[in-house]
Amino acid sequence: MSTTKRKINLGMARFSGLYVWGIFIIIFAIWVPKYFLTMATASSIASAQVVTGVMAFAVMIPLIAGVFDLSVGSSAIMGSIFSVSFQTQYHMNMWLSIVLTILIGLGIGLINGFVVVKLHVNSFIATLGMGSIVIALVTWECGGLQPLLPTSLTWGNLTQAFFGGGFQVGIFYLVALAFLLWWVLSFTPAGRYLFAIGSNSEAARLSGVSADFWIWSSLACSGFLAGFAGVLFSSQTGPSLSFGSGLLLPAFAAVFLGSTQLTPGRFNVWGTLLAIFVLATGVQGLQFVIQAPWLDGLFNGVALIAAVAFAVSRQRSEGKRKDIEQNKMVTIESPSSLDETPSVELNEALNHAAGSGAE
Amino acid sequence: MATGLNPNSGGLQAGTISPPGEVVPALAAMSVSKTFSGNRVLSDVSMTLEPGEIRMLLGGNGSGKSTFIKILSGYHHKDEGGEIRIGGVPLPDASAHGAHQLGARFVHQDLGLVEDSSILDNMFMTDKFPARFGTVDARQAKQRTNAALAEVGLDLNHRTLVRDLTAVQKTGVAIARAIGLSDEGSIRLLVLDEPTATLPAAEVEQLLTTVKRIANSGVAVIYVTHRFDEVFELPSKVTVLRGGIEVLTTDSSDLTRDDLVAHIVGSEVLEVVQEASGATFAKTVKPVLRVEGLETPLVSGLSFDVKPGEVLGFSGVTGSGRELINSAVFGATTRLGGSVNCDGMEIKPNRPDLAIRAGIAFVPADRKIHGGLMSLSARENISISGLNKFWKFPRINRKAESSDAIDWFERLAVQPLGAIAAVLGSFSGGNQQKVIMGKWMRLGPKVMLFEEPTQGVDVGAKAEIYRQFSEASAAGSALVISSADVDELVAVCHRVLVLRHGHIAEELTGADLTVVNVTRASLVTSNSDQTEGAGQ
Repeated sequence: MSTTKRKINLGMARFSGLYVWGIFIIIFAIWVPKYFLTMATASSIASAQVVTGVMAFAVMIPLIAGVFDLSVGSSAIMGSIFSVSFQTQYHMNMWLSIVLTILIGLGIGLINGFVVVKLHVNSFIATLGMGSIVIALVTWECGGLQPLLPTSLTWGNLTQAFFGGGFQVGIFYLVALAFLLWWVLSFTPAGRYLFAIGSNSEAARLSGVSADFWIWSSLACSGFLAGFAGVLFSSQTGPSLSFGSGLLLPAFAAVFLGSTQLTPGRFNVWGTLLAIFVLATGVQGLQFVIQAPWLDGLFNGVALIAAVAFAVSRQRSEGKRKDIEQNKMVTIESPSSLDETPSVELNEALNHAAGSGAE
Repeated sequence: MATGLNPNSGGLQAGTISPPGEVVPALAAMSVSKTFSGNRVLSDVSMTLEPGEIRMLLGGNGSGKSTFIKILSGYHHKDEGGEIRIGGVPLPDASAHGAHQLGARFVHQDLGLVEDSSILDNMFMTDKFPARFGTVDARQAKQRTNAALAEVGLDLNHRTLVRDLTAVQKTGVAIARAIGLSDEGSIRLLVLDEPTATLPAAEVEQLLTTVKRIANSGVAVIYVTHRFDEVFELPSKVTVLRGGIEVLTTDSSDLTRDDLVAHIVGSEVLEVVQEASGATFAKTVKPVLRVEGLETPLVSGLSFDVKPGEVLGFSGVTGSGRELINSAVFGATTRLGGSVNCDGMEIKPNRPDLAIRAGIAFVPADRKIHGGLMSLSARENISISGLNKFWKFPRINRKAESSDAIDWFERLAVQPLGAIAAVLGSFSGGNQQKVIMGKWMRLGPKVMLFEEPTQGVDVGAKAEIYRQFSEASAAGSALVISSADVDELVAVCHRVLVLRHGHIAEELTGADLTVVNVTRASLVTSNSDQTEGAGQ
């Protein structure tokens, strides 16, 4: 997103998500106009995606730096349980409970960072393990029972109050968060450093970027946002010991699909948001047509694989194109230049994340 | 296809087109040229080899020697007009099969052996295993392997795994595979592309014996090398290429090392270089970089300092400890002990960020792995180490950042000019190097550390990099260059420290700073060897 001119010829691919979204809307508007073309549907799609959106951002930040965080699902579960049990079991003030819960999320992120940066454990493994530990501790704490909901209306109103234009207030949190992240990632050195680390962490380090600090920070942010997502979920639908893992896949699907949009090859905020709503619209529309409970999972799974396959094939074709150009232009005797394919950070992120534990 | 007069197409028989009695050259290349999209990298190169002749082919990076060999091997098309005959038969253009048919064999620097397989398996890996009823005919395979090994004078068990062989034995196996499986007399030309580049000095002798043996059997050998010693040890002719032009072909006995250097480096580069080394620096000034008692896994207790404007070189063979000095000083690799002080600032080990803040820049050898953010734009690469200059809440000033990047593109003549939004990975090697230079030079570093600065860049970019050295040193930066290219060090440096076994073996400056002296200092282990270099 830092260079809008970067891929001039990809107009079609860059905005394909928007076209697909448009097509979905038109199809379902014609197919099931009675249900689909209502404010209630728009509003419910929007508010149903708030938690997914925050989770996706939680996943995206470390991914930009080439690090996976698979513990966000568990942290979100922690958030949903603790934010409520602090209030009903420990009789804490609502705001204090929220702050405390999010701080615990931050703490989980900091521990993830410690394990990845200091113990040099592959982020995939580290966060997978941490996720399991968090779930275990949360279950132990609440005795396997979901705590009672607070009786006050304020708790539900945190996310469900109608705000204007018929949308629930939750969606505005997501939009505000998106703007904040967009600013950080595109306009501040912090964002630049994260992308640099994701591109090549060793080269970034040798350029004076404190790679360890930023990877650690990205995981801390991720934990923080996952805790926040849990609070939002709890306010929307109540505490749950199981929802988080189910949201992990849609979050990753959205982030990877988003990386093929708007600024292809880069994880980006608006592409991620676009992907979330394209998927949600498709699922919601189909639900009206053939009320099937398995649609959601099918859609997200296909989207995740298709998104990554698409991104990889784009890189490969770019690599080939470049090989040909290099052969033509040459660069007299540099055999190494022939196998230099431009690697996009998506690929780097995958490689890096897969290999970082071995360092 | 070459324009042949050849009436007997496909005939492998020697002498088909020559008057009887005259020996047909094993290789006759006449004015071979190669142009890559308007860029002529090889111009009218001719070369004739008699059967049994050894030809040393020398030239710097980008001299065209690899291109020439790739044309011989059928990898590249040659330009219209030239002609190549092997054993009198025109070589079909860009056909690896054709070259093989005519009896040309190639052994590349990367030998292409499978380490975990036996010699025998490696032998037939690229060919066909002799088989009976679909099963490998072990006896025949064994016989042919042993015969091939014997042909190159190797006495090895065919069951030995390649990874258990010494470096020179591996090279021998690769050669045996290239020539030993064919019928007697069908091999006319063997091309060895830098066979000694990775060999320990002690094993080179063995390889030369093998080469002589092969030549004696009537095969012409083209031997590409960077090592001067071999040129004088093999009875041979020498051809030097530079910038795609054949600058010299003569008997090695008519040459001195200095002649060779002059021909390989060429006057243009020497001029650039003279500029660089001609630039003086104030010798009385205090050093800007002081390194004391540096400890790395390969080096112990190493101390040196550099003054502003001085160009210091580190030389030494692989394993001498030279490779890790700059990176340990900067913090890229582990520094186990010792102190680094830049302009009064003590730098903690393994902290590149602190080193940069103190005014040290580091240009590593491998751009792909350590130097560049290949998937980010050139602009982002240029600004990454000094983003603070453009950052003013609430945003990075992208306009200023871009104009700064464009500025550096122009100053360093990066091609394509103005393409600051293109990802770094899409530039050619030399231009990537320039972008990385720009990234550091814009910080106005007090000390610049270089690791193999011209490895894998073309000849034009090389001259450009030398020019940048002189610019940076004229601007008062101290330069520390670690390079395997002795010619380069001698050409650009004021002073060269030669490493041997983890210690500084010799310090060479002024008139003492010659290719011969540096090379000798890096290889010599006893006094008796001194005489050899003095004989020039």
